[in-house]
Order: sequence, then structure tokens, then C-alpha cells
Amino acid sequence: MRHAMRALYPRTEALPGLEDTDDAAFLARYRQETTRLMWLGLVLATFVFVSTPLLTVYLPLPSFLLPRALLDRHAYRVTYSRLYLLRQAVFLLKLTAGLCWGSHPSVRAKMAMAPYPADPDTWRTS
Amino acid sequence: MSHVSFRARGEDVALEADYVVVGSGAGGATAAVTLARGGAEVALVEAGAWRDPEHYPSSTYGAMRDLFDDWGAQVTRGRALWPIVQARTMGGTTVINSAICVRTPGDIFAQWERERGVGGDALAARVWAAQDRVEAELCVEEVPPAARGRSNTLAMLGAERRGYESHWIHRYAKGCEGTGQCLQGCRKLRKQSTNLNYVPEVLERGGHVLSCAPVARVTLEGNRAVGVEGRFEHPRGGGAGARFTVRARRAVVLAASVTHTPVILKASGVRSPALGEGFRSHPGTGVFGVYDDPVDMNTGATQGWASTAFRDEPGLKLETLSIPFEMVASRLAGGGLELMKRLVEYRHIAMWVHAVRAETVGTVRRGLFGKPVVRYTLNGADMRRFREGIQLVAQTHVAAGAKKLILGIYGMPYSITPDQVGMLADAPLDPRAYIAVLSHLFGGCTMGADPTTSVTDGAGRVHGYEGLVVADGSVIPSNLGVNPQHTIMGLAQVFAEDLLARA
Ligand SMILES: Cc1cc2nc3c(=O)[nH]c(=O)nc-3n(C[C@H](O)[C@H](O)[C@H](O)COP(=O)(O)OP(=O)(O)OC[C@H]3O[C@@H](n4cnc5c(N)ncnc54)[C@H](O)[C@@H]3O)c2cc1C
Ligand code: SF4
Repeated sequence: MRHAMRALYPRTEALPGLEDTDDAAFLARYRQETTRLMWLGLVLATFVFVSTPLLTVYLPLPSFLLPRALLDRHAYRVTYSRLYLLRQAVFLLKLTAGLCWGSHPSVRAKMAMAPYPADPDTWRTS
Repeated sequence: MSHVSFRARGEDVALEADYVVVGSGAGGATAAVTLARGGAEVALVEAGAWRDPEHYPSSTYGAMRDLFDDWGAQVTRGRALWPIVQARTMGGTTVINSAICVRTPGDIFAQWERERGVGGDALAARVWAAQDRVEAELCVEEVPPAARGRSNTLAMLGAERRGYESHWIHRYAKGCEGTGQCLQGCRKLRKQSTNLNYVPEVLERGGHVLSCAPVARVTLEGNRAVGVEGRFEHPRGGGAGARFTVRARRAVVLAASVTHTPVILKASGVRSPALGEGFRSHPGTGVFGVYDDPVDMNTGATQGWASTAFRDEPGLKLETLSIPFEMVASRLAGGGLELMKRLVEYRHIAMWVHAVRAETVGTVRRGLFGKPVVRYTLNGADMRRFREGIQLVAQTHVAAGAKKLILGIYGMPYSITPDQVGMLADAPLDPRAYIAVLSHLFGGCTMGADPTTSVTDGAGRVHGYEGLVVADGSVIPSNLGVNPQHTIMGLAQVFAEDLLARA
């Protein structure tokens, strides 16, 4: 899953990538906190990403075996797939990865935004 | 005073009150406080947890987890999967919305009278009087100059140059500080969501509030509603807790939203041929303008500018909207290095949106595990309106000085220059080419005089049942063409007054 997400938001000279955030901890928390259906959707979306290089870069390989340049081309083209459901699946992956990447202080600093305070995860109990 | 939050299994709760109100959003909280002010004992039962501003999340992840209904995962079933956004928290969707306050247009009451046999001048006068009170109580004011931010200001400039009417928005927000965080709840205590005012007032007036308490069904004795029942649900993970039952001495008022109220009625065994029919919405999408100087759209009121100039023809509302940065990250098309290159422009982009006054009608049904299923696919005429809205937004960006436009339309270039705006006249009419959102919802328990085509009468009473009233967006039988919260609050207050008058 992290492989697919990192391919969507790679590090560049201008911006940190998903690999520069604590994506492992994010995913562990997400798995624990989200609904089963959301998690299942994410697993399926990852499967879609990993298994479709044949449609995008015309190679019968899973995405994690692609050389870096081809992986990047796959990450781009798969978001433009002609198949709507495939596009939607990758959108879910991108949305989830974006929640992690876009809230990271190093990324927010690049956009002149203050870091987010921690989410309290509390409520009125009485 | 009594507030009962999550209770573990074995700690069952049984209560009794004059009225039980289900849902604490725009409709439910207004109905509850009106009944409490009328001297009645009210029990307000809310599925979500009660969070005050110090409990609100900051991140979008936190908002989805803590405030959104079903993590924001609900989508339309139809040709395209468009998200349906609502809240599940004390205060309902008023906690995450942009607090835009627009009075119900007069033509709406005339339309309801003509088409449904309810409404007319008498209802209009009462709803507007109720809206006067709400505006005073919830401190409605125009977005203050210091909170307008550059995105809103540019939109005003663009509209002026295009020569159409537009305005700074009036909002249920006192002294908005322009943090652009409305979607995550206002931690600055500016936005007047109902968890901060009407719900506490119900408690102060001797009422009861249950949170983390999703109602499974209305208890019926014959055709009379006598209460509600369900199981507490833990805010973290949704684990089931104790049972709760709340008896209603006089009536049950359902205000669990357009998607949930029809499902609760269905689960309760209520029979009506119109139940779940007549779902409508204002689907909308955005166009990003890219400007030479930074816009920093995350500063300034989340939504500060709007135009209703196109409400009648072609049937659109235009607004600014600053979505959180995390959402922009996925909303910009592409992936990999190209996406990262596109994201570098973030500080220079402004997102403006349209909302279509769509004619399309869909349905709300009870799906697997009791969740709502919304079937809805925009028809051709609405898709043409949708496309026209995109053109209008794009032209306004150009007039405001945008150097390029980011479209987000599948099958079209990622971005176009101002002289290419004409291309949008041929943009696809397939809903799958767009990422749109449904946030203004109507129908499912529509009101009307005829029980074969409507679920409730003009006072929100469910046809054929005693002591069962609906007071949320689901009774609204048409599209409004303006933001719905004020209409829902006005109707809820009128329905509650009618209940008191009959008691
Ligand atoms: C992002 C966003 C921005 C918006 N901005 C604006 C705006 O600026 N101005 C405007 O006018 N409108 C706006 N809207 C729309 C507006 O907020 C809604 O139309 C309005 O809040 C609907 O009121 P309601 O009472 O029908 O439902 P809600 O306000 O959604 O309240 C329903 C309540 O019922 C609860 N509930 C659901 N199921 C159960 C159950 N089984 N048991 C108990 N409780 C239950 C929910 O948790 C919720 O608290 C916006 C909507 C969204 C999503
Ligand atoms: S823009 Fe910020 S300060 Fe203003 S109402 Fe929204 S969250 Fe509150």
C-alpha cells in the first residue's frame, strides 16, 4: 500500500514526498480507526494500482517491479485511465495518501501554512 | 439538566419526555429548542458524539473520522459515484458547513402551493418570521472585510468585471476570523453551529440530550408513534453499547437528515408510497484559477463570496470555496512527479464552485446493514447546466486576472489559458468526467397534500400516523437554488410551533 501511495506523491526538489512523512504510522492508525468498508476499499484500490501496469506502461509486471521512471509514468497514467472504476479506485488511494501527505508539517510549511495542532479525539462524556 | 453519552452494554437507559427529537442538526436542534421554549420537556437524541470547539479536529483526516457521517464515504449510485457529504455529530451538518445564511426565496412557497398543495403566502410569512429570529439569535452577519481573504476578493472583482450581481455572503458567524477551517468545525467559536446554542439551551430548559445514540426505529403502537429505540454507539470505532429507549408522551420529531430519516421510517414499518422518493440536490464542482501572486485560499472565510444571478436561468449558484489543502492534493489530476509539479502552484490557486439547481430526481433506500443508498444520476438538461456553470466560473476567474485555469475534467486538458475558455462549451456531458459533490440535499420524505405522492403534510406530520413529524431537509419537495440551512430551520420552527399549538 505504501509503495502505491509513495509513487503517487514522490519526493521532488521542491516538495517532500510521502516517504518523508510517517506514512507507516498513518496507515496503522487509519486501519485501526476507519470502517471495515473503507479499509477494504483501500486494499482493493492498492490491488488495482499494483496490477495495472499492463494497461499503462504495457508491461505485464506488478507496479512494485517497475523501474523508477516507469513507475512514475504508471502513477501518472493510471489516474487518467479510460476505465471509470479504475480511476475512482486510484482516486481513493490518492485521497487517503493525500490526507497523510498534505497534513504533514514539512509539506504545510512549504505552502506557508502553520502545522496542524494534534486532533484531540475527545468528546463530552457527561 | 441531563446529558447522557455513550453507555456500555448492560447500562440500559430509559427516558420519557413530551417530545422526542431525533437528530440535532439544522432541523432537529431548531425544532427541539422551539418545543423547549414552549414549555415542553424535550429529549434530543443524536447519533454522533457531542464535541465542543476544543474537541474539534484540525486535520481533514480528523474531520472525516470525528465529524463526517460514515467517514464521508457515502456516494451516489448511478452513472457516477459522487460523494454525499453530511455530518454525524452533535449539531449535525451545521458543525462542518460554511454557515451561509440565505432566506427562502418567495417563489419557492408559490411553487410548493402550485405543485404540492402546501405552502403559499401563509407559510412564507411564518417561515420568514422564524428566519428573522434565527438570524438575530445566531448573529448572522456579512463576512467582515478582514476575513475576506484574497480568493473571495478576487471573485468579487471578477463578477464586477463580468457585470453580474454578486455579494459578500451573510453567515451564521460572529466576527469570523477567516481561518478557512469551517469544514473541520470552527475552533475559534465564531460559527454558530447548533451544538453551541440551541442544544445547550434545550438542556438548560430542563430537557435531555442523548449523544452517541443512533435511533434504530420509531416505536409505533398501531399508527401512533410513542417513542424511539436504539443502541449507543462508541465514537471511536462504533462499537455497540447499551440499549436506549425514549418514550414520547406527545410526539416524535424526526430530523436525522435527508438520507437517514427515510431509512429510519422504513425500518420502523412506516408505509408510504412516497417514502424515499423525491431526492434532489445541488450537485457542484469547482474550477481552480491560477494567479500570478499568491492567493493562499486557505486564509479568509471558507466561503465569503457568492452570486445568485443565475438562480433562475440557467439554474446555478456560484460561490468561492476553500477546501483543505489535503483535499486539493487529491483533487488536482495526475500522480507521481507531474502531480508534485502541479502541487507547487497551490499557493497561487483559488477554487470557486457552482451548485446546480438540478431537476433530476433520485431515491433514498435502506441498503445493506441499514445504511442509506442514494440513487441519482444527473439528466442531460442538468448536465448542460452543470457545464454552463463551469464556463461561468472559468470566465469569472479570467475576468479577475487568472493566468490559467485548472479544470479537473476527464477528457480535457489539465489546464487551459484564458483564450481557451471557449473550449468549455464542448466539455463532456458524462457525469463520470467530473469530480462533483452533493452537500445540499432535499426530499425523501417530501411534504404535500396528497398522501400518495408525499410522506408528510404541510406541517411535517406523516400522513396516516399520529404523533410522528419530520422536520429536516427531507420534507423539502423541490430544489431551492439557494443554501438550505435557513429554510430547514424556518420550517422546523414552524412545525414545532404547530405541535405546541395542537398540544
Ligand atoms: C460541507 C457542507 C457545507 C455546507 N454549507 C452550507 C451553508 O453554508 N449554508 C447552508 O445553508 N447549507 C449548507 N450545507 C447544507 C446544510 O448544512 C444542510 O442542508 C443542513 O444542515 C441539513 O439539515 P438537517 O437537519 O436536514 O440535517 P443535518 O444537519 O445533517 O442533521 C442531521 C442529524 O441527524 C443525526 N442522525 C442521523 N441519523 C441518526 C439516527 N439514526 N439517530 C439519531 N440521530 C441521527 C446526524 O448525526 C445529524 O446530527 C452544507 C453542507 C455540507 C455538507
Ligand atoms: S472561516 Fe474560520 S473563523 Fe470563520 S467561521 Fe469558518 S472556521 Fe470559523
